[in-house]
Amino acid sequence: MTSRDFREDIEGYRKLKEEITILQKYAVERTWERGLVNRVIERLHPKRLDLVVSEVREETASAKTLRLVSPRGYLPPFQAGQYINLFVTLAGVRTARPYSIVSSPAQTAYYDITVRRVDEGFVSNYLLDEVKPGDRFESTGPEGQFFYNPLFHGHDLVFIAGGSGITPFMSMIRDVTDRGIDRTIHIIYGSRNPGDIIFGDELADRTSRHRNLTYTPVISEPPPSYKGHTGFITAALMQELVGDIAGKMFYLCGPEEMYRFCLPELAAMNVPGKRIRCEVFGPPKDISTEPGWPESLSKDTTVTVALRGGPTLSALRGEPLIVSLERAGIAVPNACRSGECSLCRTKLLSGEVFQPAGVKVRKSDRQFGYIHACMAYPLTDLEILI
Amino acid sequence: MADYDVIVIGAGNGGLTAAADLARRGVKVLLLERHNVPGGCATSFVRGRFEFEVALHQLSGLGTPEKPGPLRGLMHRLGVLGKVDFVEEDTLYRTLIPGTFSVTLKANKVELVATLKDKFPDEGSAIEKFFDLVWDFSTQMISVYYLKDPETSKEKYPLYFKYALKTSQEVLDSFFKDPFLKMAIASYWGYVGLPPSRLSFTDLAILLWAYTEFKPYHMKGGSQALSNAILDSFIAAGGNVHFNCGAKEIVLSEGRARGVITENGDEISAWAVISNASTISTYTELLDSAAVDRDTLRMLGSRSLGPSAVCVYCGLDCEPGDLGIDVSTQFITLNTDMEHQFASWRTLDTPETCGMTCYDVADPEFSPAGACQIVLIVLQYADHWYAIPPTQYAETKYRYAQGLLNIAERAYPGFIDALEEVEVSTPLTHLRYLGHPGGAFYGFDQYAKDSNLFVSPLSGIEGLYFAGAWAGMGGFQPTLESGVAAARAAQGYLEKRGAL
Repeated sequence: MTSRDFREDIEGYRKLKEEITILQKYAVERTWERGLVNRVIERLHPKRLDLVVSEVREETASAKTLRLVSPRGYLPPFQAGQYINLFVTLAGVRTARPYSIVSSPAQTAYYDITVRRVDEGFVSNYLLDEVKPGDRFESTGPEGQFFYNPLFHGHDLVFIAGGSGITPFMSMIRDVTDRGIDRTIHIIYGSRNPGDIIFGDELADRTSRHRNLTYTPVISEPPPSYKGHTGFITAALMQELVGDIAGKMFYLCGPEEMYRFCLPELAAMNVPGKRIRCEVFGPPKDISTEPGWPESLSKDTTVTVALRGGPTLSALRGEPLIVSLERAGIAVPNACRSGECSLCRTKLLSGEVFQPAGVKVRKSDRQFGYIHACMAYPLTDLEILI
Repeated sequence: MADYDVIVIGAGNGGLTAAADLARRGVKVLLLERHNVPGGCATSFVRGRFEFEVALHQLSGLGTPEKPGPLRGLMHRLGVLGKVDFVEEDTLYRTLIPGTFSVTLKANKVELVATLKDKFPDEGSAIEKFFDLVWDFSTQMISVYYLKDPETSKEKYPLYFKYALKTSQEVLDSFFKDPFLKMAIASYWGYVGLPPSRLSFTDLAILLWAYTEFKPYHMKGGSQALSNAILDSFIAAGGNVHFNCGAKEIVLSEGRARGVITENGDEISAWAVISNASTISTYTELLDSAAVDRDTLRMLGSRSLGPSAVCVYCGLDCEPGDLGIDVSTQFITLNTDMEHQFASWRTLDTPETCGMTCYDVADPEFSPAGACQIVLIVLQYADHWYAIPPTQYAETKYRYAQGLLNIAERAYPGFIDALEEVEVSTPLTHLRYLGHPGGAFYGFDQYAKDSNLFVSPLSGIEGLYFAGAWAGMGGFQPTLESGVAAARAAQGYLEKRGAL
């Protein structure tokens, strides 16, 4: 700068200088704001929740509801249909599973989650067999995209549930019926046999008391005496139960087989894609049956995964990368474990992975080699950056 | 000895650019990012079959390969040219009052002047004079401000010295009568966040001039593609990045920044620190306030937080043309009262303005075939969002967003019926992901008194530098450039200290 500051010659410069002097004279120091941003976030979207089991209720022979409360007395609000990802440490391995909140969002004194037994379920069997009131857990805050969006979902909803896929719908149904919301719900709930139906009595009871709710159980393996709908949830059945599809929004939550069966049925009914919402459902049971899996590779073989600046571990080809990492004691953030939330986004430096269709990886992430470790299966030896 | 030469806190536009620029010059850099994705604002998220651009509406300053702007040079310097596909737009924007007024300005001075003259024949000669002023002023401003002509004087650059600190409103009023004309010319005020009565003429003139001369752009794959590309350059140059790792404290030694303590409690030493966090959180959270001098704290306290926004990210199951949407950028309003529109940013009243960006107009591949993506935006300050009880947050968010959808529907009937995915962000969403007070993605309010003409971007603490909107201007071009400026300053400091 020359000896004289040229800025002094700009019209209006001195006036603004005076304004600044006055503003600084009366300025409130912002040190009072320390911690404010975190406090605002914490009440809506805390990263972690501390939870205590206050009650365990048996729903069916194979399902229990755990009531979870906060030792601090505050749980954030959620939208009916969202889940929490519950962290557990079993046999020295820290892992996590997402569970839909089944209680109504009208109160947040507690969250109820309902767990159903799964064959070889590493976490679910532990939750069913071991957990008792007083046990403590850590979870994510409420997450997920499977909820009613008033901006475009409309007032006429069809819920198609399979097995434990009833859980997010319970929260939505409790919300609508408890609060007397003007919204019509048809729930069509597929189970293998009558004993597998979770919340059957409550659904029947709520249906009897609310004209905007109809409930149809559908049994795929009915006992000989069973009266009611049997078989799968077909286009014909849906057509019969819900009538005209115009303006309706269809929501699906259940096991992978249910999507494989019901989505083509909905297409046959000419339900447009924009009127269908699907909850994500975790990794497939057998990845090697997914389209695109290289036929020559066995899912039971192993590869080596090297972390840049970290350890090298062995990983099964047929298992999501995140599971191999967790087994080796390497924590990767995660919430949905279904390829959607992108928290486990990891950079692949070398090697090749298999990612089933529908994993929600950003376009540029594909271009620059990022994968979602919860839905990426190592086909070759890998080097990754976490 | 130090673990690193430089630690960069935050992988937003400013932090990424600073980190990549230093690493490519052989400086040993550690980049810390609280989230698992780089970019800050410059990011995207996936819903259904759509990948939504979060923040970039129109990239300024890039220019064409034949007539490059300053940002093209910066991209080259960072080694990302060729890794990102930029999409040029031929239109600045459409200003629209549904059923009442519509004008579309091309990114070409001759055409836009002709369009306005055609629309406002009574003010034809004033329109010509005004745009000549905008161009002449901008040329002078570039010489003074960017090229830093050492011979700068009132005599050499009379337009700059006369107009630089005038308000846009003063200048518009001195040229024009018709409120529709003034609104059409001033529509970019929403990109700065101040109405013409408070917006310096410099900001309005430079926006009009730069977007016209260098054309508006966006990227294939959205701004996340740029963030990924810059990070890629950084890693390729040997830079080290830690995601899911925020900074808790900047370590001072003898008054100099000498390292960072991470939120995991690890202490990492360095010769210099660049903060891409807000200046407010840097001074009040990362530093011991006792170490910050009173003048700095007073300066901080004298400035007001800029706006955040409510954005409605819409995935539509139709092509833009099916709804009659044929320009990328639109400013839709229900009246010409920009003062009132600005005042409404502090209330939850039904919105009366709506920015509308459709990326598929210039890039039909942006969304899946037969679909398109449209972002509706209105700026909003955060204070009244802080006051909403958490239990009423979702309901409030949807009610406000419905107001924006209603404006879009009035402008383009059939809009709501075509919705396939909708996600809403609010000032609290931006606060959550950026960590900025007020979710203020432009940093402080962009008053002339807060520009670098009056406020130094330097920290007052040796070895500590700032990158990002809080140390200068908001927006993509300014924050990307701020990173290079911080990198240069830090490198100069390292050389002076003999650390390199």
